[in-house]
Amino acid sequence: MNARANALRNALLSGKRRPRNPGVGSPASYRGDGYEFAELRAYLPGDDPRRLDWAATARVGALQTRVILEDVALTLAAVLDHSKSMYVGRRRPLLDAAREAMLAWYHIAQSDDRCIRISGSRIVSAPLRGTRSANLCANVRPLEDANMLESLGVAHAGLQRGSALLVISDFFEISAAHAGLLAKVASRYDCTALIARDPWRSDLPLQGFVRFKDAESPEVRRIFLGKRERRRYIESVREREETLHALFSTSGWRTGCLEESDGAVSLLQTFGLR
Amino acid sequence: MTFSNPPFLIVALLSCAAFYLAFLLLEKRKTGQEITYSNLPFLVAAARPRAYTRNAILAAWLLGVVLLGAALAGPRVNAAVPAKDAAAIICVDTSGSMAALDVAPNRSQAAKDAARAFVAATAAGTKIGIVAFSSSASVVQPRTADRDMVRDGVERIPEPNGATAIGDALALAGQQLPAHGHRLIVLITDGVNNRGVDPLEVAKSLGRQHVPVYTIGIGTNDSGQLIPGTNEPANIDEDALRAVADTAGGTYARVADAGQLRAALAHLGASTTLERRKIDAKFPFAVGGATVMVLTFLVGFGMGKIP
Repeated sequence: MNARANALRNALLSGKRRPRNPGVGSPASYRGDGYEFAELRAYLPGDDPRRLDWAATARVGALQTRVILEDVALTLAAVLDHSKSMYVGRRRPLLDAAREAMLAWYHIAQSDDRCIRISGSRIVSAPLRGTRSANLCANVRPLEDANMLESLGVAHAGLQRGSALLVISDFFEISAAHAGLLAKVASRYDCTALIARDPWRSDLPLQGFVRFKDAESPEVRRIFLGKRERRRYIESVREREETLHALFSTSGWRTGCLEESDGAVSLLQTFGLR
Repeated sequence: MTFSNPPFLIVALLSCAAFYLAFLLLEKRKTGQEITYSNLPFLVAAARPRAYTRNAILAAWLLGVVLLGAALAGPRVNAAVPAKDAAAIICVDTSGSMAALDVAPNRSQAAKDAARAFVAATAAGTKIGIVAFSSSASVVQPRTADRDMVRDGVERIPEPNGATAIGDALALAGQQLPAHGHRLIVLITDGVNNRGVDPLEVAKSLGRQHVPVYTIGIGTNDSGQLIPGTNEPANIDEDALRAVADTAGGTYARVADAGQLRAALAHLGASTTLERRKIDAKFPFAVGGATVMVLTFLVGFGMGKIP
């Protein structure tokens, strides 16, 4: 695992939704090579009596507690918008960048971590852990008609509390009316939204009469793009992006932008890493 | 507007409908100007594209088709065109009273300026002659369509001197006009007929020949102006001039300064030498239709819309 993945994992471990086991040296709730000894120190009220090191106590003459490293395991869930609107892009489909981000997400999985993939109303989860679980989830065949809102509903109901959830989409289905659902999901999980940026947010590449095909429907329209139309478009795209960020942030989500150029970097930037 | 071949109008309308359908079909074809967009409703709401640009182009194409179709139907429009065989005689008073200075620089010079304005305003092809009169009338310039000759004739109008023979001038002007065609006489005078035949009698004769006489009274009454070299007041017999105009089927206008005189003559020149006639508009319609279509093609090409 490289440094970036480690940094990302640490960022998730320090996430605010991460449940904490009370007390120093408390046993981990996951199996694995926990109970790794860290140090001995004087007993403090509240310490687990099972962690008392009687030999050391005898040597020192005062109660000594064995401090062990807490064993942690992450549940990494991801929802990848696989709708046709993610197939658009200037140089390559946005979906490619989204996949990169998802792979980077699963790449942080360690031996006891569990990976989950949500596609539509389906939760893909195997009794596997670590990289095997990550590989399984990364290669899930997506549902063509998967619905983002449906996936969020499933995530809300079906994940283990404290899981880290990554949702990558252009979020055209999300509006202020869904703030309640977003807040509910964020109250249970460490949620990250990677908003796919409009490939033409800086400017539309054509002008005059342009034939536009809707990615998700057979609708085709010829639209006249003059200077005014292009300026209004750029403003609207910026406003929409800001509105989405505000909506997710106020609902307790971590938000970032998925750039067409590099999905993994986009994910790192979302966590303030580079 | 009338059409010599009205059935072709139906052809024009059918062409129009066919073109409209073709336009709609062509709009659906694939072009190089194509983008697949993630969410078309969002794009439309964001860019708020102007629908009228497309509609204007469609309307322009249809207009071009309609004009070409209408050209086939042989349109005839009622338009003001230069009168056929138009001839005008300007009768300029050169009596002594025309030297009066109430109209700057003097009445005679103002009349010459006005005659030039009349010549400039008349429709091309109108033949113009000049008759000058004082104690008698004489032809300064026989009628001609050559504007330079007419302008030279204006320069040859004699200096003010003598009495006022309006009747003689009208009679001579009548003789200068052709027997047929669009004819008229413009009389510029400042005085009272005091020589020769009765102008009213001549006007009656001209009226019978359908030659209108437009009379222009120049100068100011009761201004205290005297005819230079005499003690006579420089007054106008407006009643007589109005009667002459009415009898011959023309109009009378009174002007008090050079500007008014020039404007009145220019107006007369423009209005009296044109006539409303039904003309064949096939060529303008065809050229107009073709021009509209070519321009629409060029504009549409620039906007990436053909059609």
